[in-house]
Amino acid sequence: MSHGQPSTSNRASAVRAGLSDPATTISFSEAQLGEVRRLQSLYPDARGALLPVLHMAQETFGYISLEAEEYVATLFDLSPAHVHEVVTFYTLYFRERPGRHVVAVCHNLSCHLAGAPGIIAHLKDKLGIDPGATTEDGRVTFLTVECLCACEAAPMAQVDDRYELNLTPEKIDRLLEGLR
Amino acid sequence: MPKLTVNGKGVEVPAGTNLIEAARTVGVEVPHYCYHPGLSIAGQCRLCMVDIEKTPRPSIACNTVAADGMVVQTETERVRETRKSMMEFHLINHPLDCPVCDQAGECWLQIYYMKHGLYDPRMKDEKVHKPKAVPLGPHVILDAERCILCSRCVRFCDEITHTGELGIFERGDHSEIGLFPGRELDNKYSANVVDICPVGALTDRDFRFQVRVWYLDTAKSICPGCARGCNIEVHVNRRRPHHAEGRRVARLKPRFNAEVNKWWLCDAGRYGFGFVDAAERLLMPARRQGGTSTEATWDEAIAAVAGALRRLTPDQMGIIASPKMSNEDLFALRRLIDLCGVRHVAGQVPPRVPGDEDDFLIRADKNPNSRGAELLGLGGDARTVIEAAGRRRLKLLWIFGHDLLASALPEPDVLEALRVVDTVVFTGSNANWTSAHSHWVLPAAAWVEREGTYTSFEGRVQRFRQAIEPLGQSLAEWEIVTRILAPLGEAPSATRAEHWFRQLAASVPAFAGLSYQLIGDSGRPLAEAART
Repeated sequence: MSHGQPSTSNRASAVRAGLSDPATTISFSEAQLGEVRRLQSLYPDARGALLPVLHMAQETFGYISLEAEEYVATLFDLSPAHVHEVVTFYTLYFRERPGRHVVAVCHNLSCHLAGAPGIIAHLKDKLGIDPGATTEDGRVTFLTVECLCACEAAPMAQVDDRYELNLTPEKIDRLLEGLR
Repeated sequence: MPKLTVNGKGVEVPAGTNLIEAARTVGVEVPHYCYHPGLSIAGQCRLCMVDIEKTPRPSIACNTVAADGMVVQTETERVRETRKSMMEFHLINHPLDCPVCDQAGECWLQIYYMKHGLYDPRMKDEKVHKPKAVPLGPHVILDAERCILCSRCVRFCDEITHTGELGIFERGDHSEIGLFPGRELDNKYSANVVDICPVGALTDRDFRFQVRVWYLDTAKSICPGCARGCNIEVHVNRRRPHHAEGRRVARLKPRFNAEVNKWWLCDAGRYGFGFVDAAERLLMPARRQGGTSTEATWDEAIAAVAGALRRLTPDQMGIIASPKMSNEDLFALRRLIDLCGVRHVAGQVPPRVPGDEDDFLIRADKNPNSRGAELLGLGGDARTVIEAAGRRRLKLLWIFGHDLLASALPEPDVLEALRVVDTVVFTGSNANWTSAHSHWVLPAAAWVEREGTYTSFEGRVQRFRQAIEPLGQSLAEWEIVTRILAPLGEAPSATRAEHWFRQLAASVPAFAGLSYQLIGDSGRPLAEAART
């Protein structure tokens, strides 16, 4: 497990809990609550819907704050500790607000052999941050991740919702240009 | 009922019994960490592996239900190797800080390493570090590095208290138990997680670092904190008194009783023993005259009280017994009351603040023996006695234990009663406002310093044993009463609490047929007719 990724630092997030934006009220719209109920009805145990509802929370509130965990817990009649268990177990939930764009570079076997270390070093250099961090201007969160199932096009990365394949430092530069 | 064999021994168990429990019935211990008979099955620790005939691999005994014809082996070479490997996994990141760990001596990592581990460590990598000495709440402190993630504490908070404070966060070797950030482990049963923690991850903030557990002596007892009568063990430190500044009672632990408290004990009961070694303990008989208190001998005190009892008419005497006294104390006192014809008798003093209650163990009645007091006619409301004193009818008022001035009784009425009665006698273990207003103070031994029985609110008679010597010259209440009965003409035949219990069983129908032997360690219900 790589260190320093925002989603895997339990103790750090506890400290940062106070920094969540007070202007954001943590609650779903009526339509979203309807969707929560629909998702819950799909499973023999309503808890089965916890992961999709957490993704909804992440999309709605930007990331999953402790307040959001407590809010989701009330929707499932679970203890906040249980929701915290789930959020801290998975790496795709952001426990602090990510940048406007997320660049997630694969550093698993195929990509590693195909040159991921150079890609990662180039990104570190270009962005001035280590994997797991967000640029100061809030533009890019830079992550290293495990295999994303595109080994045939290694080295690769996921940039927001798109796969970027056969990466080279030049391609990285062009990609970063496009991220505003 | 399925019949199976465990290590060659045949056994028949109720349907649904798992293999750990089935093996237990034939005296075979299957080592385990996460399994606890009071909690759901987690299958987390993988230590309880056993071989089952016709299954290709060892299986976990905790989650395997006994089936007819099963042939179970717990000590095959393969099982032993598996266990050893599991121990190696459990200890990979363990800090091995036994010399400073409070669990040492009662740690299942130590015990199982010696029994089932004994491998040469192969780990060369740096250990994963986690938070240490993190207070989780008022009673429990966490060392996450020592945790083996058995999840017993998490399941306890989910399934027993339904408070859900704890969780296992992160994953892989970074997993750690913890609280939702900002929360506390502060439910009414929180310290039970210390009991069920098999390792040194959760320790008791009150007990830790007082004394090494191998210096403790234990006595089977009953919690005196409420009418439930939870079975407990009293752990006392007699061998290393200098390690705990003279505090003799080190801790109370729940003792399993399927009919009463199962494995559990509330925090209020667990930490309610502070009075035993408190500075307010009454150590010597004392006489108060004109505002000054002087020590007296037992002979003087007994002569004074016996003299008053002999001299006064039944209507001039009042006694407020206590539902904190044992059945033996109360029966001896009943004998004295009947002998002297004492007319104004009570036992219950209403508390100023009503006791809390829940639907698990905690009872609103904070007395261990209210049922026993009722059965002996000593359960009446003390208001009647105080009123009689206020009407200047009483010359003698003998109060057992109660602090009338800290009760719901109107304070002016109590002060007036204490002022106008010629001889106010107080018998109790600790000084209070009422004892300060008494003419005679007779020091009583605390429950851990003597033996006896309590009758729970469910009508269960249960024994508590002596764990330590009475402090100072204090005596059990039955012994004080026995000594006073002698000059009143009753030949003292009781030299042990049990002697009084025999007479109680012989003369009070509710207790008919009971004896100390029958009551044993787990208690006995009252005679059928007295249960309600």
